[in-house]
Amino acid sequence: MVPSLPLDELSTVFARLSGMLLTQEKVDPALTSLAGAIKAAVPGAVGAGVTLIDAEGHRTSTGYTDEVVAEADALQYSLNHGPCLTAWAKRTTVRMDDVSADPRWPLWSSAVASMPIRSVLSSPLLYGSGALGALKVYASTPHAFPASSQAMLELTALPAATLLANAQGSDAPQRLSAGLTNALTSRDAINAASGVLMERHGLRKEEALRELLQLAETQSSTVRDTALRVLGSTAAGGRTPHGL
Amino acid sequence: MGFDPGEEEQRRQLAAVIEQAGISVSTLWLHYFSMTGSVGEYETEAYLQGLMSLPALQRDLLAQAANELLPDRSELPRAPYSDQARESDPGEGG
Repeated sequence: MVPSLPLDELSTVFARLSGMLLTQEKVDPALTSLAGAIKAAVPGAVGAGVTLIDAEGHRTSTGYTDEVVAEADALQYSLNHGPCLTAWAKRTTVRMDDVSADPRWPLWSSAVASMPIRSVLSSPLLYGSGALGALKVYASTPHAFPASSQAMLELTALPAATLLANAQGSDAPQRLSAGLTNALTSRDAINAASGVLMERHGLRKEEALRELLQLAETQSSTVRDTALRVLGSTAAGGRTPHGL
Repeated sequence: MGFDPGEEEQRRQLAAVIEQAGISVSTLWLHYFSMTGSVGEYETEAYLQGLMSLPALQRDLLAQAANELLPDRSELPRAPYSDQARESDPGEGG
């Protein structure tokens, strides 16, 4: 008995995953909806944002719920300091209970002084040994975030980082998504046709596949089309096609 | 699995075919995968470089995959199967 190949299960999982893979055009909207979910989930938040940061500390993608979040976030990257960059760099949650009284990021604090931002919580998106970016929530009043807010933000960061790590856009998934779908369809057809030949001729799986290969070669056809003909002959009433 | 004297020749001709036809390893692998091929892209690459041995059926699926990717009515030589590679003329190709 030839054991069935685990690859077929793997490929199904991979296909499901590839449906989730984000191209660059889809990353920003995905981060925006994630930001919306965080804002709704964290008690006291009036604005939320998600920023993906590359290994050099450059912002690569961003999503936010409010324009003020986008502005405050952009300031961090132009000033090259701020609570979210520190959360990302130190891989730990950063808490600012009162932006106007917190001495740690003076340039950023003074830059956002006119904005409705007084409380900040930022958690890193940890994945493996690295950090992909940071989540952040803002409130317009000081001491707006109780400990439960921090716990909720940290709780959200873990699955978000895992999903984002597996879903970030790259060229390879784009190249694969169409090709892989076709490949899986073809694999299914060939596996099914092998099964028909196994039953019809009492072959082992490898022998059935070799039979398909030989048929394809003698008929100058592809293995996939040969498999479809075998399946078609079954659907048409079990007639054995020529050569079988 | 014992050493198959035809494997090296089959591998060499497959490598020559895809190089002449401009077929990339990833393209070859994806098509082979679509034909229920069971080894990964890295193993395929290793096989093509002569670093790894593959069972005859997998080698033949790779050969068939390469041949299916050749343009219609191509004048290019075709990749041999395991039962053909043993009989191949050593003077052919180069």
